[in-house]
Amino acid sequence: MTKFIRTLTFLICTLLSISVHAQESLAVVVNKENPVDELSRSELIDLFMGKYVAFPNDEKAIPVELKGEHEIKIEFYQNLVGLPLSRVNAYWSRLRFTGRKRSAVFQSNESDLIAFIIANEQAIGYLPESQITADLKVVYILNE
Amino acid sequence: MNKSGLVIRLAVVIIFTAVIVGLITTQLFYRFTFLNEQALGEQSINQLFNTVSPTASIASYLGDEELAKEVVNGLISNDVITAAAIKTDVLMVQSDNYQKSANILEFTLFSPFQKKRKVGVLFVKINKKFLANKADNISATNAFVVAIEALIITIISILVTYYVITRPILSIGRALHLISPGTHQRIDKPVSHQKSEIGLLVDDVNSLLAKAEQQMLREKSLRSEVQVLESRFRMLFENATSAIVLVEPQGDILLYNETFERLVEKLELSLKKNYGNYLQDLFIMKKDLHEQVQIAFSNNESAVVELELISYQDEKIWVQVVVTQLITDDFQENYQITLHDISKRKQQISLLDKRANYDSLTNLLNRQAAEQHLKKLTLTSVSFALIMMDLNDFKPINDIFGHDAGDELLIHVSSQMMKSLRKADVLSRWGGDEFVVILPNATKQEVKNVCEKLAAQLSKPLHLSQHNKSIFVTASMGASFYPDDQVELLELIRSADKAMYQVKKNKSANEALYLEFCSDITHEKKDSKL
Repeated sequence: MTKFIRTLTFLICTLLSISVHAQESLAVVVNKENPVDELSRSELIDLFMGKYVAFPNDEKAIPVELKGEHEIKIEFYQNLVGLPLSRVNAYWSRLRFTGRKRSAVFQSNESDLIAFIIANEQAIGYLPESQITADLKVVYILNE
Repeated sequence: MNKSGLVIRLAVVIIFTAVIVGLITTQLFYRFTFLNEQALGEQSINQLFNTVSPTASIASYLGDEELAKEVVNGLISNDVITAAAIKTDVLMVQSDNYQKSANILEFTLFSPFQKKRKVGVLFVKINKKFLANKADNISATNAFVVAIEALIITIISILVTYYVITRPILSIGRALHLISPGTHQRIDKPVSHQKSEIGLLVDDVNSLLAKAEQQMLREKSLRSEVQVLESRFRMLFENATSAIVLVEPQGDILLYNETFERLVEKLELSLKKNYGNYLQDLFIMKKDLHEQVQIAFSNNESAVVELELISYQDEKIWVQVVVTQLITDDFQENYQITLHDISKRKQQISLLDKRANYDSLTNLLNRQAAEQHLKKLTLTSVSFALIMMDLNDFKPINDIFGHDAGDELLIHVSSQMMKSLRKADVLSRWGGDEFVVILPNATKQEVKNVCEKLAAQLSKPLHLSQHNKSIFVTASMGASFYPDDQVELLELIRSADKAMYQVKKNKSANEALYLEFCSDITHEKKDSKL
């Protein structure tokens, strides 16, 4: 029962948060030093869904993810591939059985994520537009 | 059982039809099943594709060989699929037996994240053999079921036909076979067919039988009528007093009655099949018969001829023959010949004739008959001599010995004179003791000779037993010749008479012959005149 209530509350909160961030676009950012200035949507999907592990210029790419069921993560995947996070997770679970390893790096929160990207030239991650700093380079903006 | 019997034929037709229909049905069903199975196979392949499509998409998207292999192996583990392959830009994963050929279905694989982005193609080869086997199995089962159904329907049809139609018809046929038409036998209606077509058939047959019976009864009565009529006709025919014969134109006898048979017997002839045309061989005057028949037939009449029959007996048999032409129904010409016995009538007539023409005492021709004969001779222009004869001194004999003796003498004289005459000569009693002799084609000398003979004969004495006395007479004769002396008959007679009286007047007892020729008298007259 308690679990149910928790789930329910969580769901409501999630919905609320979506509504909060609805107006805010998500931006995909890379290290400032990264030569890639812009990515197409397909390239973006290929990087995050594990098809490629390199930027179009053949430089190794390290996708940076948020851990768990982070609101931004949920919104990102909803926007990028039109799937709920659970499906995306299921996708990765399936791939894990074939022995395919995900090259992504997981960060607990936005600040850690930003710090990792700044520290790592090959990193690529996603953030709400409002949290973008000058040390980051936006290569794609996800619109509703 | 009869090879062409109804039941056998029906069974053959039904079984044949069942087999044909069964074959066609099975074939059609097989085709249908096959197509259906094929469609089902495709459908199941589509379903399989739907099942594997997310994984296949992911595999294609990522170019993950392991995942693709998993999908391909998963697919070919299905019976419906023989071989499968996944092809992407970077990858070609296929099952061992995969070959590019027909019967391969292609499914485009899209990215799991971008519905319009093609990431690869899934090839699937349908297991046609499996589908065919499946269809075969289903069809075989179906064919078996159809065959059983056909068998059951056939058996039921045959049984129903046999019990409902064939058996009643056969029983009717047998009953009909045993019935003899014309009797009051009828066919029983089968119990189960009181109102069916077969019942109607029985009714019709029975009414036909009734008609036949009626007709036969009528014919029977007619026949008996004809028999009665025939027996009457036969009686009439057989008992007819006249002989009746039916002959063909060539003379073959078709029919004759008892009277005819008796007649032939009477003629002492054998009974033959043919006596010539119109029985001509039975008659003396065949020519008369033919002439009369021809004349009568040309006038469309029956020929009636009186003819004498050939007979070896003394008694003459005269018959009236009536020949009638008959045309039969089939245009055959026959003759009905009737023979009426007229012998008696003929006899009577001849008797009457005799009485009229002959002198009853002397049996010589009488004066009338003699005159007739003379007339005939003059008409046919035959020359003859006429001798008038008168007995000398006959009256005294009559007076002395009586009329009986006179009659006796006359008979004696007549019979004596007949002895000295030729066949063509005629002796007649002219009246009383006067006689006339007619000698055709005689010369004066011949006449003289005849007269001498006559005189000699007649003067032979007659013994009168009553008076125990012999008497004899002489006769005076006068002769004249036709046509030398006279052409007129009366004058001829008168002149002969005159000559005779001349002799009588001048007669002397010693003279043997009292004959005078009229020609001599005229000469004497001429002489006296001179």
